Amino acid sequence: MSHFLDRLTYFTHPREPFANGHGIKTIEDRKWEDAYRNRWRHDKVVRSTHGVNCTGGCSWKIFVKNGLVSFEMQQTDYPRTRDDMPNHEPRGCQRGASYSWYLYSPSRIRYPMIRRRLLDLYRAERKSGKDPVEAWAAIQADPAKRDKYVKVRGLGGFVRTSWDEVLEIIAAANVYTIGKWGPDRIFGFSPIPAMSMISYAAGSRYLSLIGGFCGSFYDWYCDLPVASPQVWGEQTDVPEAADWYNSTYIIIAGANLPMTRTPDAHFAIEARYKGTKIVSMAPDYAEYVKFADLWMPVRQGTDAAAFLAMGHVALKEFYLERQVPYFQEYARKYTDLPMQVILRRQGEGYVTGRYLRASDFADNFGEKNNPEWKTIVWDEVSDGFVVPNGSIGFRWGEEGKWNLLEKTSAGADMRAELTCLGKPGVEVISVAFPHFTPDEPATLARNVPARRLKLASGETVYVASVFDLLLAQYGIDRGLGGGNVATSYDDADVPYTPAWAERITGVKRADLIRTGREFADNAAKTHGKSMVIVGAAVNHWYHNEMSYRAIMNLLHMCGCVGQSGGGWAHYVGQEKLRPQAGWAPIAFALDWHRPPRQMNSTSYWYFHTDQWRYETIKADGLRAATASDRFKGYSLADYNVVATRLGWLPSAPHFNRNPLELVAEAERAGAKDEAGVARYVVEQLKSGALDVAFADPDNPVNWPRNLFVWRANLIGTSAKGHEYFLKHLLGAQNGVLQEGGAGRDNKEVVWHEEGPVGKLDLMVDINFRLNSTGAYSDIVLPTATWYEKNDLNTTDMHPFIHPLSEAVNPGWESKSDWQIFQALARKFSTLAAKHLGVRKDLVALPLLHDSPFELAQPLGEVRDWKRGDSEPVPGKTMPLLKLVERDYGSTYNKFIALGPLMVKLGNNVKGIDWNTEQEYEELKRHNRTVTEPGVSQGMPSLKDDIAVCDAVMRMAPETNGEVAHKSWTALSRKTGIDHHHLYAGRHEDKFTFHDILAQPRKIITAPTWSGIESEHVSYNAGYTNVHEHIPFRTLTGRAHFYQDHQWMLDFGEGFCVYRPGLDMQDHKLVPASVKKSPHLVLNWITPHSKWGIHSTYQDNLRMLNLFRGGPYVWISEEDAKTVGIRDNDWVEAVNANGATVARAVVSQRVPRGMAIMYHAQEKTVNVPGSPTTGKRGGILNSVTRVVVKPTHMIGGYAQLAYGFNYYGPVGSNRDEFVVVRKIEDRDVDWLERPLTPEREASRNPVGVGAR
Amino acid sequence: MDLHLIVFGVYPYIALATFLLGSWIRFDHEQYTWKSDSSQLLSKKGMRFASNVFHIGMLGIFFGHLIGLLTPHSVFQALGISDMAHQYMAMYAGGVFGLMVIIGGTLLWLRRLTNPRVRAASRWMDINILGWLVGTAIVGFSTIFWSMGHAAKGDPTVMLRLAEWAQSIVTLQPNPELLRGVDWIYKLHIFLGLSVFLFFPFTRLVHIWSAPIGYLFRAYQIVRARRTA
Repeated sequence: MSHFLDRLTYFTHPREPFANGHGIKTIEDRKWEDAYRNRWRHDKVVRSTHGVNCTGGCSWKIFVKNGLVSFEMQQTDYPRTRDDMPNHEPRGCQRGASYSWYLYSPSRIRYPMIRRRLLDLYRAERKSGKDPVEAWAAIQADPAKRDKYVKVRGLGGFVRTSWDEVLEIIAAANVYTIGKWGPDRIFGFSPIPAMSMISYAAGSRYLSLIGGFCGSFYDWYCDLPVASPQVWGEQTDVPEAADWYNSTYIIIAGANLPMTRTPDAHFAIEARYKGTKIVSMAPDYAEYVKFADLWMPVRQGTDAAAFLAMGHVALKEFYLERQVPYFQEYARKYTDLPMQVILRRQGEGYVTGRYLRASDFADNFGEKNNPEWKTIVWDEVSDGFVVPNGSIGFRWGEEGKWNLLEKTSAGADMRAELTCLGKPGVEVISVAFPHFTPDEPATLARNVPARRLKLASGETVYVASVFDLLLAQYGIDRGLGGGNVATSYDDADVPYTPAWAERITGVKRADLIRTGREFADNAAKTHGKSMVIVGAAVNHWYHNEMSYRAIMNLLHMCGCVGQSGGGWAHYVGQEKLRPQAGWAPIAFALDWHRPPRQMNSTSYWYFHTDQWRYETIKADGLRAATASDRFKGYSLADYNVVATRLGWLPSAPHFNRNPLELVAEAERAGAKDEAGVARYVVEQLKSGALDVAFADPDNPVNWPRNLFVWRANLIGTSAKGHEYFLKHLLGAQNGVLQEGGAGRDNKEVVWHEEGPVGKLDLMVDINFRLNSTGAYSDIVLPTATWYEKNDLNTTDMHPFIHPLSEAVNPGWESKSDWQIFQALARKFSTLAAKHLGVRKDLVALPLLHDSPFELAQPLGEVRDWKRGDSEPVPGKTMPLLKLVERDYGSTYNKFIALGPLMVKLGNNVKGIDWNTEQEYEELKRHNRTVTEPGVSQGMPSLKDDIAVCDAVMRMAPETNGEVAHKSWTALSRKTGIDHHHLYAGRHEDKFTFHDILAQPRKIITAPTWSGIESEHVSYNAGYTNVHEHIPFRTLTGRAHFYQDHQWMLDFGEGFCVYRPGLDMQDHKLVPASVKKSPHLVLNWITPHSKWGIHSTYQDNLRMLNLFRGGPYVWISEEDAKTVGIRDNDWVEAVNANGATVARAVVSQRVPRGMAIMYHAQEKTVNVPGSPTTGKRGGILNSVTRVVVKPTHMIGGYAQLAYGFNYYGPVGSNRDEFVVVRKIEDRDVDWLERPLTPEREASRNPVGVGAR
Repeated sequence: MDLHLIVFGVYPYIALATFLLGSWIRFDHEQYTWKSDSSQLLSKKGMRFASNVFHIGMLGIFFGHLIGLLTPHSVFQALGISDMAHQYMAMYAGGVFGLMVIIGGTLLWLRRLTNPRVRAASRWMDINILGWLVGTAIVGFSTIFWSMGHAAKGDPTVMLRLAEWAQSIVTLQPNPELLRGVDWIYKLHIFLGLSVFLFFPFTRLVHIWSAPIGYLFRAYQIVRARRTA
């Protein structure tokens, strides 16, 4: 009907008044309502999620209309928790709800794109008759040609090309690089497999098949808590969010629950309704403070001091003044507190040394297997030293005694003694503890009760329990005399008293005393239901493990770890890759080749972006006063070289020679097998003819050459030292305001006066949106969005596995990551068959955690073969040297099939092995087999994305009850305890992709993890250690208060100490013009954002509308006033590393002395130029620089052994200070000018040269 | 064919037909575009004065033209309003309201061009129609100087011929001959004014149709029944 004609009858409408004429009923046209109905009308609803490294891991309904995604809405069909518990729903937040914008947004990458200049060069070479690899070689051989496209990285200039052509170029570059420099010069960066496992696996499988490196992310992001492996031998196992509800006392520090754990925050609120007390320790008035019963605003970066003071209170009141039976038993059985430590004479007194071992006793205490790896306690039953079960020596080479039962190795019942104080024959000696607080002594001597013991070596030493040492370390007076201990909490001169901590942290001592007391008291009454929720804000500091160990110490004192409702709840990213055991073989092509190449990214970027050339931190300044003289004068980079040489950390590339060539040379020299090649390589290393790559990272031989970035925003987000990436790695316009020179004195690293520029030959970005990483790449490939592909998703915060799925076909010319890398593999195979053929590759494998090689280097001693301390022995004193044969022409055939090693070698996770023959046969039927002729014909197919999902789930214990059965059987053999009851009810469960499409499924209890899924408790870390007596995967098999590796002691971190932030010096090196203008010097704090998850959503119009629509920095109202900065003014943050420009948010929320720039506001949206650098105003990491820490490099030593994303230096970034000043609106320059030859030539800021 | 006949005999029908039919079609088919497109949300600066002056002036001009031109001559005579009095009323009222339109409209037009937020949200036609209205008003205002000449001579014939012509158009007895010999300024004003009707359905002016007068009298709550038709 016509709206107009309808209006003409307006006066004839019947009108029925009601409510005394206040209302009226009419028959007006209601067709307009259809518009609103149509807005929500749709053709189908599909389940998917957002693969965005958000712990939410929320299942969403995707609504599709006319073949387009019209909107999304929260799914509410998660399986229930259980009676008396809140459910996990609703899950989802404003960010996820805005995702569909991306599919059809201007930032969507629709077609394969390439830098125009590179394409022109390539086409010209091809036209001249060269084949693809020759064409690529010709471009690389001519510095002028190479420079032509390298130096315009980040300056636009992309053109559309075809899949066929672009894949040919990438494949040619890979083939060329493998032949010329070695496969280990190809690197891939992609984070957080759990957020979209198959997409991750796509790139990592391709790289692993061709011998490229996959870079770690967790350590690089600095989300990896190094304390976790140090203390538990486990990386980030945490309670699910629902377990917060089971807690009765929660301290929250550095995790902003409503903002960054949005879908889970309700559990904390619901816990409060139940009566749980919540204490907040945010330095600023963060959103989560509103949950808190008590807010203790702690000075940023001083959390260790606060928790040490709370530990002081807990120890004094719950261990000395009274003994809580629950705590005593927990300490005896599950911690290293009863373990005996050797005290060595130093100067007037003693210092703590290593743990006492079975090997220190005559006849190795009767231990034939690994006596150097079995620690000792004093047994109250037999009144003597005994070897208790469960230390790491029992894990390898024998079965049945790797458990935490209170038994001695000889099979006797025992009761470990915590303190020897008051026992016969005990003496009191003075022990020096390292101390790092400014203006306080560098060592603190305290009296400790100890026993004298004559070792098998003939040496007489004192030994004391970790417990007795810990009480001394916490400064608690036990009436033993001596100094540096306090009887009163108000004694501010004694470190670790609440009064002392008040001075450091700014938190009132009364609050610290009360919280410490209440936390312990609650745990005593509830058997451990006290919890600390903690996150990135505390972990992003250089000395983060001190804060974390201080927290863990408190938790262990109170028996909280492993108890439902208690423990350490560290939430950063979507770390929990639940079906890890089924996924890893596919992701790293373990079904075809073992071992894969995996690199710790922090070291990688530290060297390859040349941040080591600018190092201001001297390692000597970090060492303890009690340190040994070995490695004195070494730089941080030198320590890293030592660590790679000794097999502690991986090295990418391995050596300063192509590993393919190295094998060929060895064979020419007569080597017949792996051992022969290894012998040759060892000889070469010994003679100095061959060296680890990091010994000369600026030599073109050692440069990384090809870089793949997918599912990531390396350049725009996580590149700590962003401007150094631009300068050295990419050779692009950069804002580095200083020249390097700090590497000149290095002992192990060669210095080149001229810094290298543009190391990468090729950078490929694969994404659905064009962000800063794409902007700096040479090739950008369009990938399917999270609503356009089939994939898997799991998270720490809930125990379910659920899918990403293809609601609509991939838009424009995009493809799923799995299909992209499959297509690349196909192209690569054709070119490689001709140019590479079948080659033998040498993989230098570090001494891995959870493998027998974690026992490679006993007693925590550092034996450097290069200095003649030992012989270089692969797998013992240096990396393992493994031969891998690569049939390069068959790369594609291998990619698309599950390979034969799954049958031949079986599967493995965290040191537990089982066979996968049954699953392999099942997958042949379920996925069908590969029909293409070649090496993989007849094997289970992995061509289709869903087939890959099903293969992962079929092989993982978490998603296949039969595999759970096999893996628990293997673990039961090791521990000698029957664990089968843990999964028994679900033995027959098997998930398929279509099952989880119907509804998220709760995973099955697996030995991969230390928590269990049950009808009685929520998932909580450490549960099986405490309730099943499965040892922690540490040296002692217990949770560690103490670290006895030589480097740990040298750096003063045997026990947890308070260490202040680093003095980075970067803010002192700013141009005079900046110093002259009114400015603030502020600590640079980069927490996670409300309007984004990392950089995603940050450029989303819907999110931009909710706040300032561009980059912003929060500063305190009082600070702002002093320099005339008003809200919304443009400001610039500058230091020697570069500059970033943003609008100021002036707020009372922020304490003085800090600038908060929320994480990952990248330079693609509304970022003008910086007046100081003259370059685009940067990102949050334009003013940061990464500093590596030697204690993170330790390897080959029980829990301190390398594992991918398990251990390694972290990319800390919060110790940094910046100069912040106002920019007048008239000085804001958007740099919207054409590219001139002058601009092209001036890559560095004015006045900054090549060093 | 004579241009005069086309402009004053044919063009009025094209303009008015477009105005009526165009409005109808748009109302029926583009309901979501039937709005005033107010930019007040983007910037309120100077809006209160300029917008009110413009709108009051516009209403005055509109009703002044409607009554002054379309009321049959006999009615004025019956009311005892002499032709000269009619002319002076037209000149004074038209002058005051016309000036309001010119001042308010110019301010709004400048705002539309110079305020970056408003400018960014402006379509070509938004800038155009406002300029056109102001231009028409300026020309209309200028006719007063000619009318003053006529009034000084005590000669109302031009005014009467204009009214007669307007009535000839709306009564479908077009007599463009009435405008022959009328000063060019009047013709220009008529042409510009007619064009406003031509543009009308393609602009935000359609909001004029929907003056929310019903809101003054409506009940607090309106319940719409489901219609079976």
